[in-house]
Amino acid sequence: MKQIFVYIAMIFLLASCNDGDEAVIEDLDENKKLNIPQPDYFPELTYDVDANPPTEKGFELGKKLFYDGKLSSSGVISCGFCHMQEFSFTHHTHKVSHGVGGALGNRNAQPLHNLAFKKNFNWDGAAAHLDAQFIIPITTDVEMNEEIGNVLDKLRADSTYNEMFDEAFENGEINTENFFDALSQFLVMMVSNETKYDRVVHEGTANFSAEEQAGKALFESKCSSCHSGELFTNQQFMNNGLPIDPQYDDKGRSRITGNPEDDYKFQVPSLRNVELTLPYMHDGRFETLKDVLDFYDSGVEETPNISQEMYQNNANANAGIPLTEEEKTQIIAFLKTLSDIDFTLDERYAEF
Amino acid sequence: MKIFKIVTIISVLALLSCSDDDIADQTQGDLKLLFDNQVGDQELILNNENYEKNGDEMIQIDELKYVISNIQLEKENGEIFTYPVEDSYFVINEEDEQSLNLNLGDIPVGDYTGIRFGFGIDQSEYPLNGVDNFIPTAEENGMLWAWAAGYKFLKFEGSYSTGISSGFQPFIYHVGSHGENLDNYKEIELDFGQSLSIDQYEQRVDIKMDVLKIFDATYQLNLADKDDIQVDPVNAPKVSENMKRSFEIKDIITDTLFSNQ
Repeated sequence: MKQIFVYIAMIFLLASCNDGDEAVIEDLDENKKLNIPQPDYFPELTYDVDANPPTEKGFELGKKLFYDGKLSSSGVISCGFCHMQEFSFTHHTHKVSHGVGGALGNRNAQPLHNLAFKKNFNWDGAAAHLDAQFIIPITTDVEMNEEIGNVLDKLRADSTYNEMFDEAFENGEINTENFFDALSQFLVMMVSNETKYDRVVHEGTANFSAEEQAGKALFESKCSSCHSGELFTNQQFMNNGLPIDPQYDDKGRSRITGNPEDDYKFQVPSLRNVELTLPYMHDGRFETLKDVLDFYDSGVEETPNISQEMYQNNANANAGIPLTEEEKTQIIAFLKTLSDIDFTLDERYAEF
Repeated sequence: MKIFKIVTIISVLALLSCSDDDIADQTQGDLKLLFDNQVGDQELILNNENYEKNGDEMIQIDELKYVISNIQLEKENGEIFTYPVEDSYFVINEEDEQSLNLNLGDIPVGDYTGIRFGFGIDQSEYPLNGVDNFIPTAEENGMLWAWAAGYKFLKFEGSYSTGISSGFQPFIYHVGSHGENLDNYKEIELDFGQSLSIDQYEQRVDIKMDVLKIFDATYQLNLADKDDIQVDPVNAPKVSENMKRSFEIKDIITDTLFSNQ
């Protein structure tokens, strides 16, 4: 018996020199790896899981950070303040987000789901990596108005965070990289595909109503060239002809590229959970899906760099997508099949 | 009892084998880099000092900061030593003398012929390889574009005048990469012109950065034409290209009096 013990001790000591043997490390740390759910009909993962593999402890830490007001200068604005789970992590009914001291931003908070499959973040693609995205809301004065260095100081002064960083990461350090990695680990796990659409189209366990079926056909002929694929976005930056709001004169993508050809282009949003993520457009100007379809039907303006896609369904060559009232009702019925209520109630992502 | 002794001995040996501290002293040395920002052949003095640049423009410089990264040393035999990437991000800030001196440790002993480093942050690495941990430093130095999740590689501000009769106007050059379609990271390669031995003696390489070359190394940039270059797909790449050609080896100093040991 004693000899066996010696051998086991030797194996563990030798294994401790070898970072490659993850199975051993996992058992010792009791920090299990998590797999990002990947429905087989989803696009390829864009998130580099090898560089930052999600773990149970990292996910827990990321969740605590996500809901912690410490990330803001006032101590009360957390990520979850503007990204509320019951509305697929948007700031429900707020046209633009409210930040520290009641400051108003100029853009509508985007939903957080299926981020592991996204190529760019923000309406203008200001962050090309999820791990870099967090700088924006934390440091923007009208959002959390804080410095990353200050957040780290606050976390270091907190014994719970010291323990959690220690459990979640091999080097246990409270630094920017681990801070952002933990937030990413929480966010990439938030995959949403428990919808009627998925049950009908991919699982064959439900059926569309006649109205939904008609809406699907209309959607495919009139909307899906931009809202394409299983995430219902081509992940491109496009100008849909939304009238320019002089209050903001938000030029969108060109702020990032400096290229005038990108003026007024914004990222085509995913339509999964779209029923829940009102209000709509980058500035939240439309409160209902009906308002959105009314805009595509008769409100499109030929602003600079308008997408050619806005002309394809129009024989008169006026920009826009003509729709009858019946067609709008049918499309909305279809869009509502993209709602994932389980996702909004999932306790794994919940604050309380 | 005997078995436990064996266990103890094995444990000690196994733990020792994880550590290489005991051999570090003989195989590694230090290198100091001094970034000496000059205006042509003159010393750079911030605020109120007038300098003549190309295009008959006078400038005063209030602020000069830039990011250096990805330091590599080339050995005589052609081998490349890469300084640990996560420790190789620096803000050079003319206002802060300490920031001009980089102390690089744990360099393998040997003869080196040149140095390579990056201007800015390599996009392919971002945000990997620990560059995230550079954020608080960049933040303190105002080298972070909060709204674009990216770094400013160069923060260069001051004022300029186009003639005796005209007053001074402010100018601003803030240059970085934007998303994936505007990559302004540059690699700089400088030859020492001699062999530099990393050994027990303290070695210092003085690198001159000529501010005037930011305006004319490759592209002629007149402030009267454009005095605010920030997110600019036409002019920002020109500033970066000029920046790439603004560095040169000024001096190599071996201090035999103060060895590392």
